[in-house]
Amino acid sequence: MKLETHTSAADSRTETRPVRVALVEDKRDVRESWSRLINSLPDFKCVSATASGEEAMRVIPPIAPDVVLMDIFLPRMSGIECTARLKTLLPKTPIVILTASDDDEMVFLALEAGADGYLLKRIKPGDLRTALMDVLSGGAPMTSEIARRVVESFRQKSRGRDETIRLTAREEETLLLLAKGYSNKEIADKLGLSIETVRSHLKHIYEKMHVRSRAEAVARYVSARTA
Amino acid sequence: MWLKRHGLRLHRRLFQWDVAIAEVRSAGRLAALLFLGTATLSSPAFAQSNDLTKEVPAMGISPLPTNSILDPEWGVGSWIWSSEVHDKEYCQLWRAFDIPPSVPVTSARLRITADNGYRAMLDGRELGRGSDWRSLTEYDVTQLLTPGRTHVLAIEGFNDRLEAGVLVGLRIKFADGRFQEVASDGSWWVVPEGESGWEKRKSPGKTWSPAVVVGNFLSAPWGTKPYGTTKPPPLQLITLRFWQTATFQIALAVVCVGVMLICLRLVMELMLQSKAQALLQRERDRIARDIHDEMGAELTQLVLQGELLQNELPEGGETRSQIELLCERGRGLGHALDEVVWAVNSRRDTLRDFSAYVCKYAQTFLQPTTIRCRLDVEMDLPNAPFDLPIRRNLFRAVREAINNAAKYSGANELFLRIHRQGRGLRVAVQDDGRGFDPASADHTRNGLANMRERLSEVGGVCRVRSQPGAGCLVEFEIPRLHVRRRPWWLNWRRRSGKRIRVSVPSAEASPTARPRSAST
Repeated sequence: MKLETHTSAADSRTETRPVRVALVEDKRDVRESWSRLINSLPDFKCVSATASGEEAMRVIPPIAPDVVLMDIFLPRMSGIECTARLKTLLPKTPIVILTASDDDEMVFLALEAGADGYLLKRIKPGDLRTALMDVLSGGAPMTSEIARRVVESFRQKSRGRDETIRLTAREEETLLLLAKGYSNKEIADKLGLSIETVRSHLKHIYEKMHVRSRAEAVARYVSARTA
Repeated sequence: MWLKRHGLRLHRRLFQWDVAIAEVRSAGRLAALLFLGTATLSSPAFAQSNDLTKEVPAMGISPLPTNSILDPEWGVGSWIWSSEVHDKEYCQLWRAFDIPPSVPVTSARLRITADNGYRAMLDGRELGRGSDWRSLTEYDVTQLLTPGRTHVLAIEGFNDRLEAGVLVGLRIKFADGRFQEVASDGSWWVVPEGESGWEKRKSPGKTWSPAVVVGNFLSAPWGTKPYGTTKPPPLQLITLRFWQTATFQIALAVVCVGVMLICLRLVMELMLQSKAQALLQRERDRIARDIHDEMGAELTQLVLQGELLQNELPEGGETRSQIELLCERGRGLGHALDEVVWAVNSRRDTLRDFSAYVCKYAQTFLQPTTIRCRLDVEMDLPNAPFDLPIRRNLFRAVREAINNAAKYSGANELFLRIHRQGRGLRVAVQDDGRGFDPASADHTRNGLANMRERLSEVGGVCRVRSQPGAGCLVEFEIPRLHVRRRPWWLNWRRRSGKRIRVSVPSAEASPTARPRSAST
């Protein structure tokens, strides 16, 4: 009995308890559909479906779900601000942004604020499961456009005062290849790395982005909201 | 001496004004007189007649014409006035006379006085004024008379009180020794008050009445002989500089008014245009928001519900595959909507956004194919404005090129390159596929003609380079990111030359190919 529970985390999850998903979405129809969709996936369970950022801040931390799905456009507190706040309370919980269309501007802001990935609402159920599993297993999916923006933002910031957080040469190389449209596997081949290493590079890049923006993030989104 | 003369002149002028002011009957009359007086004071004729006035002793005119109608010694006619005499009254007296043609006038002298005052005009031009009936004034009008013309003498007389009369005598001497005389007599006309332009009329009006001789020269109550004759220097023809002529001044005024109107119109047009532009922008944003929020969200929800329904149906069933198809269609529609929103949303009018959008399109479109999409996009593309007609046309052309590559090339890799070039942009779509011979290719079928047309519409060029077995390179070059908005007065080139479309996206904004549906 005891031995079984001490097997690897991912295995125990798939075997014993489903992935616990928290959903934040303001529209009732959409919220219900998504929770049904999540529940319809084997080994996933929607444990909370909240309608606003404020409610999410109250409900989600005590539950401590495995992953949070966050809509960007929420009334009052935006999904981006809510992400930033939740991240301070649950730093280990991955937050995935849900967006209707890929508005890179918004997605980039959300990623900076601490999100670990984003999904289009129009995603196929099959792809949804893969994407969620990817995030849960420590992957950090990144599109070419986001990679471009990340490189640009790090270059811009490093020109300024913040010299502490910089991308390593390898990380930047990875990003540049990603921006050119290469897949993780192609990058791994090109750089003579394992695909796992490429993924960990990306993970580190995300972390650096979060660390860099965390200090200012909450204040920034609060001020942007009141403006 | 000089001081004395000038002092005297000043005194005279003041005196004249005093009299003139005392004489006016009504305020309107005063205003008119003041205006005339000022005009006269500043006119060269008046200045001359005042400045160099000198008193000369009374003297007769010699040699005398044999049948003279003027007084032989003083050269004047009779005292005339209108039929009734009132105090504080004006009387306008008019007389036209012809100068025979082709004989030059050697001298012409007009002697005049009035009880109590007068203003003498010849052909509408004021000769001078006087207010002392015992003193004659002799105006030398030689220069003003033209042979073969009808001239008009107009006298505005003023009576202060009791008796009134105007005394005039004009003697004209010709080069051939003949004389012509005009005397104040019954041949003059009295012009009723309120008539305008009478001093220039060549013929008497129907309502005018003949003047009445109120007394002969030297008869009571004007029995006293004149003290003397004042002779102002000869009156010269007023030569007007071209800018002093009425025609020129009117023309100038018209031009000024015209220019002002044009400026006003331009300013208004500019205001309207910028207002229309802002309105258009707002409207575009609203439409984009509406499509995105209402239709897009609903569609997404529809697809999601379809997916759920599909999940709950048994695997392999006919209904399930139908619903799957339905969801697929819905997604395709979503992509089409996205493109409309992209085109309509003015927030997306930037170079950076264009580049991101095209890249994303290429990647999504090529994902289900065997072609790997490589991007070569300039780092740090600026957020420079990129006008809708240009970016839309360029996007469609690029899409056409990518579609072509996917359909025909059989390539392994496709490069999408986006770089700035001068003030414009260069986009290239390059594949390593089987290529073709551009010379023998059917340009209408593979869309090359279409791409060229799209580019030329926004002033760009499209070049296709390919060889059988050596891939294909399609290059698009846009010289600038903005539609030239010329002011309308410079618009002749747009009207006559090639058309540049500045229109709002038209209804045909739906894409011809959808990324996802291409995979099915």
